[in-house]
Amino acid sequence: MIDLVEVSREYQRGTDHVKALDRVSLHVERGRFAALMGPSGSGKSTLLHILAGLDRPSSGRVVVAGRDLGGLSDDQLAKFRSTHVGFVFQFFNLIPVLDARGNVELPLLLTSLSKAQRREQAETALRVVGLAERASHAPNQLSGGEQQRVAIARAIVSDPEIIVADEPTGDLDAANAVEILSLLRELRQDFGKTVVMVTHDQRGAEYVDEIHQLDKGVLLDAHSSASAEGAS
Amino acid sequence: MKFLPFIWRNLLRNKLRALLTAGAIALAIALVCLLRTMPDGLNLMLEYFTSNTRISVHAEAGLVYPMPYAYLGKVRSVPGVEAASTWTWFGGVFRQEDGVSFPSFATEPETVGTVFEDWEVPKEDLEAFRRTRNGALVGEMTLEKYGWKRGDLVTLEGEVIPLALEFRIVGVIPNIPHFMLQREYIDQAFRSLDPQGLSWTGMIWARVDDAARVEPAMAEIDALFQNSEVETASETEKSYMKNFFGMLEGLVVVILVVTALVALCIVFIAANTASMSVRERFQELAILKAIGFNRRLLFGTLIAESTVLALLGGILGAALALGLTSVAREATEGLDNTLRPLASFVVTQAILVQGVFLALVVGMLSGVVPSLGATRRSVAETLREVF
Repeated sequence: MIDLVEVSREYQRGTDHVKALDRVSLHVERGRFAALMGPSGSGKSTLLHILAGLDRPSSGRVVVAGRDLGGLSDDQLAKFRSTHVGFVFQFFNLIPVLDARGNVELPLLLTSLSKAQRREQAETALRVVGLAERASHAPNQLSGGEQQRVAIARAIVSDPEIIVADEPTGDLDAANAVEILSLLRELRQDFGKTVVMVTHDQRGAEYVDEIHQLDKGVLLDAHSSASAEGAS
Repeated sequence: MKFLPFIWRNLLRNKLRALLTAGAIALAIALVCLLRTMPDGLNLMLEYFTSNTRISVHAEAGLVYPMPYAYLGKVRSVPGVEAASTWTWFGGVFRQEDGVSFPSFATEPETVGTVFEDWEVPKEDLEAFRRTRNGALVGEMTLEKYGWKRGDLVTLEGEVIPLALEFRIVGVIPNIPHFMLQREYIDQAFRSLDPQGLSWTGMIWARVDDAARVEPAMAEIDALFQNSEVETASETEKSYMKNFFGMLEGLVVVILVVTALVALCIVFIAANTASMSVRERFQELAILKAIGFNRRLLFGTLIAESTVLALLGGILGAALALGLTSVAREATEGLDNTLRPLASFVVTQAILVQGVFLALVVGMLSGVVPSLGATRRSVAETLREVF
């Protein structure tokens, strides 16, 4: 599902030359829940952005869902993201002027679905994350955990194969973090999604199938999660 | 169309800011529409006060240069000229402290009714003017100013023709300030200073029988006096008034410059709003890009926001201008004739369309720079900065 070969990413930040990734090769099978872990500045988010088609590598090859992302234009990449990838971010990033349903429906505006179909699909996604009854609530009327669940509903509403989550529990308390991790795990188990998550949260290790450790832009050996082995 | 609710919600994100910006645009567009009525309004005012069959004949060198009085007979003989009369500036002063406070001209009483038919002087007043040697037809505005009435004796001291003469008011000319005197009376009195009397005049007014014959008549009159001691320049009354009030032309230029500056101001106001609105949403815009909004789509929705806001302001402003001029028109309907020209300032359909179109352009222009800036930002770079 996800194949990165010898991927490097360098960029300029002010006067500093940053080497965020150094010849990283990563393979994630379809239907797996993978975690990218490592200290701050290790290149986790950069790697996530590249495999999700948000950023381009300085060198190397990125193949996701059978598409070589290197050959895609910016517009093609945008199209690729809208159909193949769902995003969950640390700070939820819901649009404050839209209610929960409106936020979930947003990616569907890029499709040819009718208004009724968009509405139905958004409500289905909200049901999956357990928030059907909160559909008409504005983001500021929802708790942090609920907002993150709305964000997950938005990520799955267009039925992408891959869900990428950047520190999805980073802004949540322990109880909500567990709920979100369980939900991501359910997406992998019940819907066959491939989930790639960047996290600092050690609890995450209990929910994922495989952990990829990064340090200073270099990918250390991957290992399977003990709990995942136990679960499967 | 499916993005319209999304655009509308974003527009109302900060209701007070949207309201203030739309209000500023509305006022500016109303001002632009009102200013745009002025060139046409001034033109209509001139048409209201002038006749399209009356010609002014004066010395080519300028209005202050005299022409021989004998020219009157020649002008009367030109085909198409129904009647003609001279106007000789008397420069009458009633009260020294006021100076020349109304125009006073010596003229032939028998032709006033024909050449200036549109003045609507009552027949009996015209008859009294003909009969009374020292008679005067006085404009309603001057009568009201000095509290005069028919039958009063008024002494004027001439500044151009240096005579102090007594006149009896025998008639009233509605809506204008003029003080018209019998030429013969002035001529007789002037002979005490110059035995030749008034052998000159300042201007000849000629009434042509058909508006279509005005141009040929003017050409023929000027040809008559070509290479003579005083060559003439004939022009329509409207053109004469325009030249006399030459500042009107300058005023129109000033109006157009002010209109352009107002338009520029509203571009800045709207651009500032668009810029603030985009700047505070970089994070959201990055998320929209991440979920698949491409640059064109994002640019389109941002431009649409500023355009819809400006368009609403524009429609409101155009309606405001229309309302104001309609109220002014209705308010002047029952009033004195002198205020009726205010009704000439009409917000036409063309001006309304121009106003709304201007708002549309303002909206698009004001949104271009901030929208381009936002859409050009790399999504990964924004995410790195924000998260």
